[in-house]
Amino acid sequence: MQTAWGWLPAIYLFLGGMGAGALIIAATFEFYGKRYQYDFCPTTLVGATVPGPLVILGTILLIFDLGAGLREPWRILYMFTHFSSVMTWGVWLLTFFIPVSLIYGFLESVDTFPAAREWLKARRWLRWTRFLWNLPLRRTKRVFAGIGVVLALGVAIYTGILLSAVGPAIPFWSTRVLPFIPVPMMPLLFLVSALSTGIGLTVDLVGTLTVGFMEHRVKSLPWIHMAFIGVETLLVGLLLITALVDGGSAAQSAREIVAGTHAVVFWVLIIIPGFVYPFVVHAYAAGLGRHSLASGVGSGVGIVVAGLFLRYLILVSGIPAAL
Amino acid sequence: MEIPRRRFLGLVAAGAAAVVGAPLLKGVLPATAGERPKARYALIIDTTKCTGCGACIEACRLRNHLPEGVSYIRRIVKGNDRKPWFLMIQCQHCANPPCATVCPTNATYRREDGVVLIDERLCVGCKYCMQACPYQARVYDEERGVADKCWLCLPWVLGGGLPACVEACIPGARLFGRTDDPESEVAQLIASGRAKPLHPEFGTEPSILYYIIEE
Ligand code: SF4
Ligand code: SF4
Repeated sequence: MQTAWGWLPAIYLFLGGMGAGALIIAATFEFYGKRYQYDFCPTTLVGATVPGPLVILGTILLIFDLGAGLREPWRILYMFTHFSSVMTWGVWLLTFFIPVSLIYGFLESVDTFPAAREWLKARRWLRWTRFLWNLPLRRTKRVFAGIGVVLALGVAIYTGILLSAVGPAIPFWSTRVLPFIPVPMMPLLFLVSALSTGIGLTVDLVGTLTVGFMEHRVKSLPWIHMAFIGVETLLVGLLLITALVDGGSAAQSAREIVAGTHAVVFWVLIIIPGFVYPFVVHAYAAGLGRHSLASGVGSGVGIVVAGLFLRYLILVSGIPAAL
Repeated sequence: MEIPRRRFLGLVAAGAAAVVGAPLLKGVLPATAGERPKARYALIIDTTKCTGCGACIEACRLRNHLPEGVSYIRRIVKGNDRKPWFLMIQCQHCANPPCATVCPTNATYRREDGVVLIDERLCVGCKYCMQACPYQARVYDEERGVADKCWLCLPWVLGGGLPACVEACIPGARLFGRTDDPESEVAQLIASGRAKPLHPEFGTEPSILYYIIEE
């Protein structure tokens, strides 16, 4: 079992993924016009405003996991310099993602709350920003949403490549999609999980808590969400099967997950709350056309918790290649 | 609604292409492989002579002023209870070092002469190199918060001396020398094909070679 990376990187990978996923959901609502069906769309508002803070928090945790880079913070600048390193890609992605998502969140907020916009406009000490208010708000917002989506896809996928790039050192992390397809599974799984946790947070949790979302808005959402859970189940299944077929320490990782030291985390903290419960509840909600508080909030929390433990599980179950 | 939607899909496609394309491109473009200079030094460890006594582990620890229980060399017991043998692992000074590829700061680099070093003024202590080294040859210096590993006792070697582990080895299982001198013992052993890299399938092309009796 690898011990170099523990909880801090796990939480960071999770926050990065969920932030990216939430922003993609908000942008999807924006571009498909769902955001404008009603005056107030909490899913879009939360999906646009939380990614910045989530990813900032994740980045802070990541910095706290450094050694000399924490004691002498200027060393962090060196991390921008080596482009063969996936970590360098990540540092650049975060550098762009954080401001873009913060601006998108701000624009979405002032669009949602015109009173706040008027208040800001009336501040004398903000007079120098007046030319900015002449920009077409929604079009500017869409530009940032669009750039945000591209960066969010990058953030979600790179967290997987970060692991798969270690290659033969930790075979489980570089497990392929299928034994004969030379594409690593982790980037794909992390992307789907990022979207899934994004939906869990913005639609299930926030949507149910605020307006009982399913009642009147996007009837197809539970189906889409069930499809996501289905795909994620398939990917996790393939990951474990391919790892078992590969043999060696990858297979050992898979065995520890399914029926070994990590089995409790896998079944009790990931599969049941993040896969089984939301799937059943969404099938029920799809039939009913709405979520109850227990189904919406329950599956939202379950999916988010499972997303966190999935990152943790994949990190701790990485076993170095046997020599 | 039509135009923004199309623009959105276009952006998504472009983003996906960029993210998926980058690693593919990396595989296609010629990496440093072509002009990689040959390693000048080789260390050959004869596992048929090694008794697993650990003198090299301790000598390494002392020369590098490492704390109790830490060394750049570690021992793996192979074989079975009846007939055990010992695999001493340290940095293999790979010609194609994954630790240097993943290092975000350029702290880890390979010298022209094949020795892989860490510039500890650049290292941030992210431990990515420790994950990427398939030989698990790196240790973490808790005190200074940087990655650390065997440096082949480079200052001693450049001054005409030997790595501490080679000096310390009681049965003489460690042979150190220059590969650019065809007369040297290491060069002849390499030419004979008896000294082999550990796990060539990793694709790392180590400069440390082993003489192992296949079971
Ligand atoms: S053995 Fe490990 S630390 Fe040494 S050069 Fe190879 S990959 Fe790097
Ligand atoms: S710990 Fe230091 S040497 Fe290792 S990858 Fe990070 S910055 Fe590079």
